[in-house]
Amino acid sequence: MDDLFLAELERIVGPDGLVRDASELLTYESDGLVRLRERPAAAVLPDSADQVQAVVGLCHRTKVPFVARGQGPGLSGGALPHPDGVLIVMTRMNRILDVDIPNQRMTVEPGVMNLDVTREVESAGYYYAPDPSSQLICSIGGNVAENSGGAHCLKYGFTVHHVLGVEAVLPDGELVHLGGEALDSPGLDLLGVLVGSEGTLAVVTKVTLRLVRRPEAVRTLLAAFDSTDAAGNAVSDIISAGIIPAAIEMMDRTTIRAAEAAVHPGFPDAEAVLIVELDGSRSEVEALFAQVEAVCARNEGWGVQVAMDDAHRGRIWTGRKAAFAAMGRIAPSYYVQDGVIPRSKLPEVLRRIRQLEVESGLTIGNVFHAGDGNLHPLVCYDDAVDGQADLAEQVASKILTFCLDVGGSLTGEHGVGADKACHMPKMFTAEDLETMQLVRAAFDPDQLCNPDKVFPTPRLCGEVPGPYRAHPAEIAGLAERF
Amino acid sequence: MLSQSSTPDALVAEVNARVGAAVARPGSRRDSIDGVAPGIVATPQTATAVAAMLAWATETGRTAVVRGGGTKLGWGAPSGSVDLVLSTAAMNAVDEHRHGDLTATVQAGATLAETNAVLSRHRQWLPLDPPWGDRATIGGIVATNDSGPRRQRHGAPRDLIIGMTLVRADGVLAKTGGIVVKNVAGYDLARLMTGSFGCLGVILSVTFKLAPVAAASRTVAVEFSDAARCGPFVADLLAHSATPTALELAIPPTTMLVRFESVEPVAVEQAEQAATLARGLGGTPTILIGEDETAVWQAHDARLFDREGTIVKLVILAGELSSTLAWLDDAAQTRQLDYEVTGRAGLGVLYVGLGGDVPRQASLVTALRERIPAGRGSAVIQRADPELKALLDVWGPVGDGLRIMQEVKRRFDPTRTLNRGRGPGGL
Repeated sequence: MDDLFLAELERIVGPDGLVRDASELLTYESDGLVRLRERPAAAVLPDSADQVQAVVGLCHRTKVPFVARGQGPGLSGGALPHPDGVLIVMTRMNRILDVDIPNQRMTVEPGVMNLDVTREVESAGYYYAPDPSSQLICSIGGNVAENSGGAHCLKYGFTVHHVLGVEAVLPDGELVHLGGEALDSPGLDLLGVLVGSEGTLAVVTKVTLRLVRRPEAVRTLLAAFDSTDAAGNAVSDIISAGIIPAAIEMMDRTTIRAAEAAVHPGFPDAEAVLIVELDGSRSEVEALFAQVEAVCARNEGWGVQVAMDDAHRGRIWTGRKAAFAAMGRIAPSYYVQDGVIPRSKLPEVLRRIRQLEVESGLTIGNVFHAGDGNLHPLVCYDDAVDGQADLAEQVASKILTFCLDVGGSLTGEHGVGADKACHMPKMFTAEDLETMQLVRAAFDPDQLCNPDKVFPTPRLCGEVPGPYRAHPAEIAGLAERF
Repeated sequence: MLSQSSTPDALVAEVNARVGAAVARPGSRRDSIDGVAPGIVATPQTATAVAAMLAWATETGRTAVVRGGGTKLGWGAPSGSVDLVLSTAAMNAVDEHRHGDLTATVQAGATLAETNAVLSRHRQWLPLDPPWGDRATIGGIVATNDSGPRRQRHGAPRDLIIGMTLVRADGVLAKTGGIVVKNVAGYDLARLMTGSFGCLGVILSVTFKLAPVAAASRTVAVEFSDAARCGPFVADLLAHSATPTALELAIPPTTMLVRFESVEPVAVEQAEQAATLARGLGGTPTILIGEDETAVWQAHDARLFDREGTIVKLVILAGELSSTLAWLDDAAQTRQLDYEVTGRAGLGVLYVGLGGDVPRQASLVTALRERIPAGRGSAVIQRADPELKALLDVWGPVGDGLRIMQEVKRRFDPTRTLNRGRGPGGL
């Protein structure tokens, strides 16, 4: 990166908006997936869409790659910088621009934190529905890039269902508005494809969000089970009974113990717990809650706790949301996966994971969004033990294969990023990927916008990407491809 | 462009040879789109046949229009001459109903009614209720992102799709998404295809998340003497934690239909609460159940869509309902036009039926568009006589995203084979 380019960047964002010192750039080396690190050539912290437009325009003219990032809690290396590129850090663009309660809308800059959207409108009786576990520290721009979900997306959907419109800078520096404040903007639904494109199509500079009225009643139940099979069957029975709870979460013995040790939520010592939350009108919640209790009883659930107040409900959710961090108490390191399976396959896949645990000798904790089949197996390992990190990665990858075997997906909410790009040919054919690339080519023909993410490339994956074909060594059982 | 002057019989022979089966016939007046008969109509039975046909069309510079039930062929801009109508009628199976997962994969040519008949065996349904559900196909409903009253609760096709298979204009078969309800692997091409009016590819099958069929239903029909009461009624209802599955407006006379679907005591209680609210605002509510309820909804659906005449899809912010209705009444009276309005009062998605002098209709639509600030709504002509379509761009302003939409179209369909000129912004 030459001095002329850096001087131009500094002219755009000002001296306090440019980071070029190698030690300061360390901060931005990775996102939440710390295993992958790369130092950007420079980082900028724009504080307006004009500045973003000027930076992207400059990159476009000089063919310099750029990567946008927010707070960086992502778990797939989606915000991994490019070593020869500019990292555009959106944290200074964190203003709430408009709150429109009568129309249930809010317009924010991308650096606004997820939870701050809810905080802004809760006194008026509204909230923002997508609630990733990182909602305290993740920003809306990142949520848009990743199409973030959360525990409550079973009933309320994902970010894509709650973003009405965006203002975005295209990779050639043009500022466009996709979607709007009203529904059904005429034209192709480019907003629908932009959300979840992991920052590869544009840099979002403004987002209009849909606000949801707080339900009249919320009831949360926790039940213990003697096996994950029994808990999984209870999940199927709830769905089969025609009940769509706001959330159904499952934790196994390993993650229950970790959460107990870390935040003392008062969970029973069991093979599995289910957390089921219903919301809606008071009478509806009462009626359906009785059915959920009956389903749990029928599947020999025990130790039932019904949250009697917000404090108790908060404690249950703290136990669930702290599960990832709490695993640090059990193992020095862990590898987390984000595979998805059809929810009816839950018992089958959990049994296979259990078997893998025995075979590999590594502890595997399971905490997941059971209602929508999104698993988060945590494969524990110790870096100090030679080869264990590699083994953990192989085990984690094998779990993904289980998910794909039953018709599932590589990722439910963490994204493909740099982490799983090489796995994409296991789920999609070359033609599928090429069709997705048509969209990429329309937005970003030079592939400057967050390059080397989502799609497998020879540079990333060490081979020409294409449909998965088993190597003779694999067929002979000599090797596995991960 | 090659051999554009071929006779229909010659085209039929070409397509049949390419596909290796007798799938094509010459087009007739009955196949007309905007009054123009197509060269040929082909009804492929397999994905491979669709792919071969599209590859042929693209290579030979032909134009193609996809047809499902044919209920919405008049929507969109006029296309001029069409060489090939590709009918999805022979690909109409419900491929798989995974009732334990509450998902289903359905071929494009299946009608909504056929689909829901299959799903109802497990007391589930695809929660969409657009017009003409007995004839409208899954492919057409998705291609137009069309929906009905229960969008209030369940959303539009865009909100329910989790996967799709499609054939590109160049004949390449591709899939996107999958069969699980939560999935962020790769670009969401299914959303891009949804509402694209068939101008990017041919939808072969779609995987949806489903909803359980509710145990009980009640509808409150409210008559108001004044349309100005509708806005406050909607706001009050939603502020009182009511969870209607439909919240519809119909004018004239000013009527609101509010539907509650849940377990019996909940549906009853919420309906009674809504009736009380309506009385407080001077309305006259009736709670309907059973056949009466079914009949009132059938009449509501038929009101605009089973008649001739112009339909404008008017989208506004829900909070601007009362002011928009007042403006519309004044604008129609000034121009001596007849008008009717139905639609989703809670979402700001309305359908305006217009009758009367065509240039005056054009003048009203133009004034309506001028009234709506960019990004805060739209007025798209959904159905109209060719005379009105000639006077106005049916889509209206598409915004500053048009260039990138054109670029996406160029990448997917560089020869402009599919639905040429009919999509938004002339795509």
